[in-house]
Amino acid sequence: MTESTATELKQPPKVSGEKPDSGHMEEFNVNFARFLMRCNAECGELAEFNMGGQQTILMSGPEAQEAFLKTLDKKLSRAASYKATVPVFGEGVIFDAPPDRMKTQLKIQVDALRYQNMKNYASVIAEEVEQWVSGWGDEGELDFVDEFIQLTLHTACHCLLGKDFRERMTEEFKNLYHDLEKGLQAIAFVDPYMQQPVFEARDAARARLQELISEIIADRRANSDVEYGDALETFMSGTYKDSTHLTDNEVTGLVIATMFAGHHTSSGTAAWALIEFAKNPEYTAEVLEELTELFKDGQELTFEALREIPKLERFVEEVLRLHPPLILLMRQLLEDVDYNGTLLEAGKTVAISTYGSHRNPGYFPDPEVFNPHREKPDTLWAYIPFGGGPHKCAGNAFAMMQLKSIFAALLPRYDFELVDAPEAYDDDLSAMVLKPTSPSRIRYKRRK
Amino acid sequence: MVMKVVIDRDLCQGHSVCLGECPEVFDVVEEDEGYPMVKVLIENPPEELRDKVMKAANYCPNSVITIVEE
Repeated sequence: MTESTATELKQPPKVSGEKPDSGHMEEFNVNFARFLMRCNAECGELAEFNMGGQQTILMSGPEAQEAFLKTLDKKLSRAASYKATVPVFGEGVIFDAPPDRMKTQLKIQVDALRYQNMKNYASVIAEEVEQWVSGWGDEGELDFVDEFIQLTLHTACHCLLGKDFRERMTEEFKNLYHDLEKGLQAIAFVDPYMQQPVFEARDAARARLQELISEIIADRRANSDVEYGDALETFMSGTYKDSTHLTDNEVTGLVIATMFAGHHTSSGTAAWALIEFAKNPEYTAEVLEELTELFKDGQELTFEALREIPKLERFVEEVLRLHPPLILLMRQLLEDVDYNGTLLEAGKTVAISTYGSHRNPGYFPDPEVFNPHREKPDTLWAYIPFGGGPHKCAGNAFAMMQLKSIFAALLPRYDFELVDAPEAYDDDLSAMVLKPTSPSRIRYKRRK
Repeated sequence: MVMKVVIDRDLCQGHSVCLGECPEVFDVVEEDEGYPMVKVLIENPPEELRDKVMKAANYCPNSVITIVEE
């Protein structure tokens, strides 16, 4: 690009309603999913708004989303958004590590989610679901937002740290994890090192968790002939280019980072799926028929058996379309980019909205209607619940497997119905990860 | 008509589902940096592997694999 053409580049259109100082923060905070849809409706493919001083460009539509997720990747940085996670994950872990080490750590994290481990995870999840429903009785009523938070904490703990830890340590782990979560609240994004009781609790929890994990690591290194099939085993065996292993601090960090990536995203989706099953009995009947046929001989819910359950899969995909757990994905521009004649300027933030993309009527007619029969778009970049490209959610296969396992176990056994009026079940946008509003009460009754 | 296996390396994160489904055609190899990547061992697999190749393509969590007929 020559200098003269550089001056000819357009600026992205600006979203109306900007206030002095705060910009669009106020409107953003009321309902950011809807605010982002307004940005797109008003300005089109590129829409610039002001997040309390940080100029942010929303990129909408499959072409722009593909650029964000794939083609422009080397010019975008993910690190800026993740400063608050450093004291939670640990120093020197992922975004706080030098690029070389970060790449290896991420690779080792994905290794734990590969085909070979997934088979063990499938049986762990089936076991946890059995244990969960064993106390249900013939009928009852539960707040499933909370129930799924507990269930997925158990499955995550079990898959990550193994059976022994799951059986002995779950209660202490829950408390530590809770303190770490509280360490990621909004003020942490201003300054995660302020003198605050929540941050002291966060640091104490991080230190204690590392102590616990170091004990298991030492114990396992002393009994190196045992195979565990959990993520910790993979984290412990991975090496950097110079053949050194990850430190206990880094292993602990990967365990925490994996929990944060996978836990609430899975529990929120599971809760929404159950609400949609209760709301849509005609589609639920189709899925149930499929499950009854596939599992009529009483096969276990193994990884192989779970691979292909098309109707259940389409149902879960539709849940993820309407209720994508992560609504807003952000990156920082490391250099100026010419995007089809418009300047995306270094230092600004670029963003995409899964929620908005999934409600684009050009790709999803009658977007607010829950319809698992709808046709899939002919592009990979309109339906993006897991993002896409080089940083696509590495847990996407695990997440789908877990959701299929849960509902393949639940639906044949129980019938579910809403306790409250359908409108009472809404998207809760107050946390980083989307979930249904609490409580989301659902009645269950054993099928005859 | 011959099956041709086409991959988009930009989408691959080395999940290795293809390797599990059809090791005759797919391998997953370590790269100099970043994730391991799929490697196609037979670009035009014989017809008797069609079912396995299609499973590898369908079950790939990242939609890396496309089968074209030529």
